[in-house]
Amino acid sequence: MSANLSTRNFRPYTGEKARIARAYDYLVLVLALFLFIGSFHLHFALTVGDWDFWVDWKDRQWWPLVTPLIGITFPAAVQAVLWTNFRLPLGATLCVACLSIGTWIARVFAYHYWNYFPINMVMPSTMLPSALFLDAVLMLSNSLTITAIFGGSAFALLFYPSNWPIFGMFHLPVEAGNSQLTVADMFGFQYIRTGMPEYLRIIERGTLRTYGQIATPLSAFCSALLCTLMYTLWWHIGKWFATTRYLNRI
Amino acid sequence: MKTTTQNNMGENFVKTIDFPKVIKKQQDTLLNFLFFLGMIFSVYMLTIQPVSAHGEKNLEPYVRMRTIQWYDVQWSKQQFNVNDEVSVTGKFHVAEDWPISVPKPDAAFLNISTPGPVMIRTERYLNGKPYMNSVALQPGGDYDFKVVLKGRLPGRYHIHPFFNLIDAGQVMGPGVWLDIGGDEADFTNDIQTINGKSINMETYGLANGIFWHSFWALLATAWLLWWVRRPLFIARYRMLHAGMEEELVTPLDRNIGKAILVGVPVLVFVFYTMTVNEYPKAIPLQASLDQILPLSAKVNAGVVEVDTLRAEYRVPERAMKLSLKIKNGSDKPIQIGEFATGSVHFLNKAAPLPQQNDADGVVAAEGLSLDNPTPIQPGEQRTVLMTAGDALWESEKLDGLINDADSRIGGLIFFYDTEGERYVSSVTAAVIPKFN
Repeated sequence: MSANLSTRNFRPYTGEKARIARAYDYLVLVLALFLFIGSFHLHFALTVGDWDFWVDWKDRQWWPLVTPLIGITFPAAVQAVLWTNFRLPLGATLCVACLSIGTWIARVFAYHYWNYFPINMVMPSTMLPSALFLDAVLMLSNSLTITAIFGGSAFALLFYPSNWPIFGMFHLPVEAGNSQLTVADMFGFQYIRTGMPEYLRIIERGTLRTYGQIATPLSAFCSALLCTLMYTLWWHIGKWFATTRYLNRI
Repeated sequence: MKTTTQNNMGENFVKTIDFPKVIKKQQDTLLNFLFFLGMIFSVYMLTIQPVSAHGEKNLEPYVRMRTIQWYDVQWSKQQFNVNDEVSVTGKFHVAEDWPISVPKPDAAFLNISTPGPVMIRTERYLNGKPYMNSVALQPGGDYDFKVVLKGRLPGRYHIHPFFNLIDAGQVMGPGVWLDIGGDEADFTNDIQTINGKSINMETYGLANGIFWHSFWALLATAWLLWWVRRPLFIARYRMLHAGMEEELVTPLDRNIGKAILVGVPVLVFVFYTMTVNEYPKAIPLQASLDQILPLSAKVNAGVVEVDTLRAEYRVPERAMKLSLKIKNGSDKPIQIGEFATGSVHFLNKAAPLPQQNDADGVVAAEGLSLDNPTPIQPGEQRTVLMTAGDALWESEKLDGLINDADSRIGGLIFFYDTEGERYVSSVTAAVIPKFN
């Protein structure tokens, strides 16, 4: 069995064997692509949900807390499988790229063409910078502990600043109805959502604002702490569910 | 045609297969199957009906009757074009007898039921005051409202004003059909920021968002391709288990990893700082609860007093019988003209209304009768048996009240004096069902 190979008697595959092994790589990659587009996107839609769906939910308190915390789950699990068994440091980037593909497909076809919302109102956030960083930390450290602490924290801390170039412009103030709103709030007011009344938004709630109006860094660091724990939990979930016993028979 | 020889149980025989016939048979079967599918699809397409309701009848009757009591709802027009504005105005009374199982309306959002944003909401007023967020309503309070909408997508739509009530759900007002004409491509929606910058809401920030998503997607794709270009799973698995880990992650890989560790955060914070400098006046999302007090009493204003003594629902007759003690405190004789509950209006034919206010109220034109139809004189107190009977109790699913845990009725009675002056009183009582 392959597991009993030693460096001394290791012979790389050549010829037909190499070609079949490569075909197997592509087969797994294509399947993984569709699997993660579907499963991670579903997981994300059911848990982060409205915070990622709507521009007027992307607040400075809950959005940077919830999104990375849920977003680090699948990357941690897939990293556990790909790094432990194959030393492939691309699990996080692969998962988040698949999530991005899934969310863009949903926003364009389901939200825009099917339900008529302008795409800019339902634009997804990005976690790709965070995922790249997480993969790099795992590759360089080869350590679950270091990746959980530093990679997990960075995953959360990078989220808000990496999305501000996309969503900052939606926070320009607008005067409407004798009150001050952001452009994002105006989207929520103007583009009618029958099942999404304004009061359902879980934004700007809680006591984080008590620290001199600096809610975002506090949320980000809170998320960073939780991400270290979430990363570890999902790493073990990934290891628990994954198996390579079929490779042992090759 | 092909001839084959087979050996079966030691006997030789010849079987002739006529391929064109077999293929023809298969084609016929397929055609029959497709024809059958086509028939089913045709029946489906021919009987398809446009959606004309929003589940408003499925909300429990006691919620529809005893929360938001709508009246005088009117639309400025029901046919208009893309970019035209249309307004819906009306009044509502927040029932005093608010159901105990429904949370109080501490946050309520006056909304419009539409199939997606086929119109946009440009203005909204409660008691003459503009407001943008949710509002706390007071049980027993009277309010009037106005919502201004602008056509966005051509089509024919069934539209209601309605309230989203926190933790309770949606309470629909009366619905109408709106016809929006014109061309979708003509729609414009420009607003101005406080600093005077004009924004096209349909496209604002989209190109910028796509750019940043694409930028990070390119880097991520490069990282993925960097690894995917090499043999992956089986080869790496074998090498790892052969102790060749160092060959799987090369020094160049590590250097790229270090570049990512430094470069990504630097890029993120450079871009972040650029954006902060570009939009220094950005503010957080706004989440205030608007505070708007009720109007001075419009319902139960003290002129006509009504006390509900008993309410019976006669199931076979589909009739609600309300025994009411009425005191006329006005200086003119009054008559009951209308009883409204759950957006259904029962009219008293004997007392013609000065006008029919609701644009699309569900109306029982002769649904209301009184045991004593003579007008109630000024200062008179009289006990009246009012019968609101019509099949609408069943078709509007209001008769489900007898199956509710909270089987109480609530509604509004509209009195009119000889000069057309209107007095509105709310009524509420436990309902006793009579099954025969």
